[in-house]
Amino acid sequence: MNKLFAKDQIAETTRRHRGAMVIGRSRRRQQAMFAIGALVLLSFGLVQAEVSPTRILAGLGRLGEFIVLMIPPDAGSSTRTYVEALGETLSIALLGTMLAALAALPLAILASRNILPIWLVRVLMRRGFDSIRGVDTLIWALIWIGVVGLGPFAGVLAIATSDLGAFGKLFSETLETADQRPVEGIRSTGGTALQELRYGILPQVLPLIAGQILYYFESNTRSATIIGIVGAGGIGLHLSEQIRTLEWQKVSFIIVLVLVTVAVIDFISSKLRAAISGARPV
Amino acid sequence: MLIIDNLTKTFGSATAVRGVSLNIERGAFVGVIGRSGAGKSTLLRMMNRLTQPTSGRILYGGRDVTALCGADLREWRRSCAMIFQQFNLVGRLDVMTNVLTGRLAHASHLRSLFNIWTEADKGIALTALEQFDMASLAAQRVDQLSGGQQQRVAICRALVQEPDMILADEPIASLDPRNTKAVMDALLRINKHFGITVVCNLHSLDLARTYCDRLVGMAAGQLVFDGSPADLTESVARELYGLEAGDVMEAPDAAVPARGAVAAAA
Ligand SMILES: Nc1ncnc2c1ncn2[C@@H]1O[C@H](COP(=O)(O)OP(=O)(O)OP(=O)(O)O)[C@@H](O)[C@H]1O
Ligand SMILES: [Mg+2]
Repeated sequence: MNKLFAKDQIAETTRRHRGAMVIGRSRRRQQAMFAIGALVLLSFGLVQAEVSPTRILAGLGRLGEFIVLMIPPDAGSSTRTYVEALGETLSIALLGTMLAALAALPLAILASRNILPIWLVRVLMRRGFDSIRGVDTLIWALIWIGVVGLGPFAGVLAIATSDLGAFGKLFSETLETADQRPVEGIRSTGGTALQELRYGILPQVLPLIAGQILYYFESNTRSATIIGIVGAGGIGLHLSEQIRTLEWQKVSFIIVLVLVTVAVIDFISSKLRAAISGARPV
Repeated sequence: MLIIDNLTKTFGSATAVRGVSLNIERGAFVGVIGRSGAGKSTLLRMMNRLTQPTSGRILYGGRDVTALCGADLREWRRSCAMIFQQFNLVGRLDVMTNVLTGRLAHASHLRSLFNIWTEADKGIALTALEQFDMASLAAQRVDQLSGGQQQRVAICRALVQEPDMILADEPIASLDPRNTKAVMDALLRINKHFGITVVCNLHSLDLARTYCDRLVGMAAGQLVFDGSPADLTESVARELYGLEAGDVMEAPDAAVPARGAVAAAA
């Protein structure tokens, strides 16, 4: 009776496929080098950032003091002001996201290989999206404050610009995943390029794109708070003011307000996204 | 009459269709047979101009179809409706809208972009659906239908184009035997009842014999057979498929469900 894996057979196969055995070894060497590299980078970063355990320990005590001062959260007489400012922050996030999406969709269509197969246009658009995206929302806020002055309008523009880059890239990648068969189906009936887009491509990708917009709206409610701190309107401005004037109870009130709102929006938006990706003809 | 004159298509260094010449009379039911990779799909797609021929011409009513562009090209595509193996419907849209896309070339362009259709167009779409017992499914999303139902939707879409000709590229390759019969019967009815020319790529020789008035055989991109079903002898079939004739004659029955299973799994 023959054994399924005889010793001499294994030895013989191993000899013939030396190369295959070595690949595993070189992969392990790669992993080790990667780990060493990561360690070096980490220690370099610790030194650069002047991370020192003693300072953390000393600081921890101060953090404790702040927390004690924060309890209980109390807005004093400013509750109304803060809620209105929060509304402003949400409007900034919503308007900014919507503006970005509206501007990005047509641009993304031009940057999609399956819709406009012109290499140069695509590469230029993609580079443009990447450059816009490469600049953080906070920087855009500072730039727009310089252009249109302090206030929520600068905030809307900051979110709209930075998301334009992100949406442009995201949308065009989504458009490119569209199945070509329905598009050919429309073309075969004598449809125009616009009709191919409208019936062949958009029904496939709009639900995905709507989900992406909602997701960005979620994260933009957080960004809109941050850019408020540099003066682009909304609740962030009040937050930074109260931190500067050491009104810790007001600070904690604002933080709790923002946390609860963000949580509620996350919840609603994730439900909506689930509903959209489920089933609904467009 | 449709005249195909020395039509050739190359993809890079590969030649998919090589110098095919063929006349198709009005009202004919032509089956195109040949093994996988013979160039059947490419030939059909060139007729609808989904694929641009490398050389050669297609003439219809004295016009050079291969030179058409813009509105004339779209009008040509409208007049020779295409039916695909994978249906090529828009899965997320409902049955009615999918059938209405067959009216795109008839409808006002602006209104069509807003999915607004005239009562007349909707009436036409429903009438087509009813002929295939599909009217009750008009509001259903297409990706919730079975393959056989989807192919019937695709046939309705083709019909409402009010075409002179229907080009069907292996319309039954993803279907089970019962749906196969339903779809082939539908094509036959369209052909006999409305006098619409049908050109149909088929893998199954049995089906080709049963439904077609005329068979065209392709091998390696060339036309190697053109005759009535009766002319398709075992030796011709052997030449077409490069197999033992017995295998060829039996293969179709086994091949249909097998291909369907592959498509369903994919
Ligand atoms: N878009 C394409 N790009 C490159 N080569 C292609 C393309 N379409 C078809 N071909 C090649 O052309 C040849 C003919 O293909 P075609 O699809 O016309 O064959 P077919 O007879 O329809 O085969 P099947 O029965 O498998 O559908 C094949 O060798 C195929 O690889
Ligand atoms: Mg084919």
